[in-house]
Amino acid sequence: MEAVERNAKLVMLKNDLKKEQRNLFVRRFISNKLAVTGLIIISILTFLVTIGPLITSYGPNEMVVDERLEGPSSAHWLGTDNLGRDLFTRIVFGAQLSMGVGLSVAVITSILGIVIGLYASYYRVLDNVLMRICDGLMSLPGILLAIALLAALGPSTKNVIIALSVVYTPNVARVVRSAALVVREETYIEAMKSQGASSLRIIWGHIAPNTLSPLIVQSTFIFANAIIVEAALSFLGAGVPPPDPSLGNILFDGKLVIFTAWWMVLFPGICIILSVLGLNLFGDGLRDILDPHSN
Amino acid sequence: MVDQPLLRIKELRTHFHTERGRVTAVDGITLHVEEREILGVVGESGCGKSVTSQSILRLFDEKRTVKYEGEIHFKSKNLLKISNANMQKIRGNDIAMIFQDPLSSLNPVYTIGYQITESIMLHQKLQKKKAYEKAVEMLRLTGIPAPEKRVNDYPHELSGGMRQRAMIAMALACQPRLLIADEPTTALDVTIQAQILDLINRLNQELNMSVIFITHDLGVIAEICTRVVVMYLGQIVEEADVEKLFSNPLHPYTKGLMKSIPQIDGDRSQALHVIEGTVPSLHDVPNGCRFASRCPYASDLCRAKMPELKIVKTGQKVRCWHYEEILEKEEVDV
Repeated sequence: MEAVERNAKLVMLKNDLKKEQRNLFVRRFISNKLAVTGLIIISILTFLVTIGPLITSYGPNEMVVDERLEGPSSAHWLGTDNLGRDLFTRIVFGAQLSMGVGLSVAVITSILGIVIGLYASYYRVLDNVLMRICDGLMSLPGILLAIALLAALGPSTKNVIIALSVVYTPNVARVVRSAALVVREETYIEAMKSQGASSLRIIWGHIAPNTLSPLIVQSTFIFANAIIVEAALSFLGAGVPPPDPSLGNILFDGKLVIFTAWWMVLFPGICIILSVLGLNLFGDGLRDILDPHSN
Repeated sequence: MVDQPLLRIKELRTHFHTERGRVTAVDGITLHVEEREILGVVGESGCGKSVTSQSILRLFDEKRTVKYEGEIHFKSKNLLKISNANMQKIRGNDIAMIFQDPLSSLNPVYTIGYQITESIMLHQKLQKKKAYEKAVEMLRLTGIPAPEKRVNDYPHELSGGMRQRAMIAMALACQPRLLIADEPTTALDVTIQAQILDLINRLNQELNMSVIFITHDLGVIAEICTRVVVMYLGQIVEEADVEKLFSNPLHPYTKGLMKSIPQIDGDRSQALHVIEGTVPSLHDVPNGCRFASRCPYASDLCRAKMPELKIVKTGQKVRCWHYEEILEKEEVDV
């Protein structure tokens, strides 16, 4: 009986402790103005982008020929484009697509990057091979490499994600590797080894968790960067193929009529700026919170 | 078979491949550890104590940096011959190790309970709950107050002494036959040091476990060891029972170490005895006796030819050409 009671007490203690730690993290987060601002911007954008399709009465590719290039009005909140499509609807769907691409790239590069980074840091031979490949990829300008890949793969949203993932994986791998190289020399890794832990357990159980904070920070930056580069690619005509809206596509359409229809460039531009700004602020804030050495 | 020692190291050589060529950090160590014995290993920094202990567990990267030679027999197995997978089963389960710096020997992202539990689950295939209970029990055994609560602490929430206790609990979790303690008290203050020594002493008795205790502190050796090995530049220079070593040190190096201990009632105005010079670089090992360049008794013979480790009448082993003369001379002086 006593043992049962003690166990119950233990579980309670453990839960209390976990709660306390979570509270601490939340408090540190809230006191960081950058991170909170970033999070608010991203949340608002995400909210708008999510409910946007529900409140608009137009489809993203629905053309009304006699309402072309109309300015913002009560019927078209942000005006219409050169084909008579409702700009608000297009921006909402475009932002959805752009953020979706950004998020996918962030997730894929994180997964690939952590695998490559960890194994490179642990096995010297692999390190030479993998890091030389990464060096090679990083020596090419990101956009150029992405365009080359898209030229080979053909333009589609899926291929944009693949191309951007290839471009950004080396960055993540580098960050993870450098964090892991520090960790693998720590005495506790040797201690784990002396306790009979296998390489697999050391790599994933003990080195990986110690590389998570730089990885999370890096992936928020890649999220933001991927949005910019996706917009640039679409703007150049190498990204998401029209008529699907993406922020870059809308900008591209607006370029031709920039002097008559300022709204076509301004609003998607603002949307890109805000999402990237929000993500970068959030990432900066996270870095300050997660890395105790930075302040 | 009954009197077979638990661990028998024969002519162990550990070579490292460095950018400046091959370096032999441990050069022909032969020693044994009996059941339930606490064997002390003393020597200055860089004389190969830690390398010896890490060689026993084969902790170095054998593919790239290190090459072992010789034999390490543990329970009728030659540890240098068995596969990596089998070595993994021995690490932590049969032979465990505690490290010098308790601050960096625990993973900061896990609770100490998790880390102890992990090693128990790994070797004993216990269920998580059972293993967790055992972790609490081990922490209690090492004298951590309120172990039920402490088990959920992260390493940074514990003091240095408690961290070292947690390390010991982790090492002992699977009841190893041999514990290698690599300067476990160096980073701790004296009161905690005494407690940890008591703890190791007690666990040695209670758990029937042999200990290899590595240190540069002769006071600690006197406190807990039964037999002592003195190392210098990768070699054993003297081996003796602890009483004999302190009452009758034979090797000039051991004598130097003894003289360097500050005496509590000694003359404060006089400078402490120092052994002149430093340990030579492993890249440039002398031909003759390795201690010759620092030895006050060194002769041409010492500088030309390396002495063998000889067994003396008293049962000690010493690696010196002149130990008898030195002994006689000292008696005359007295």
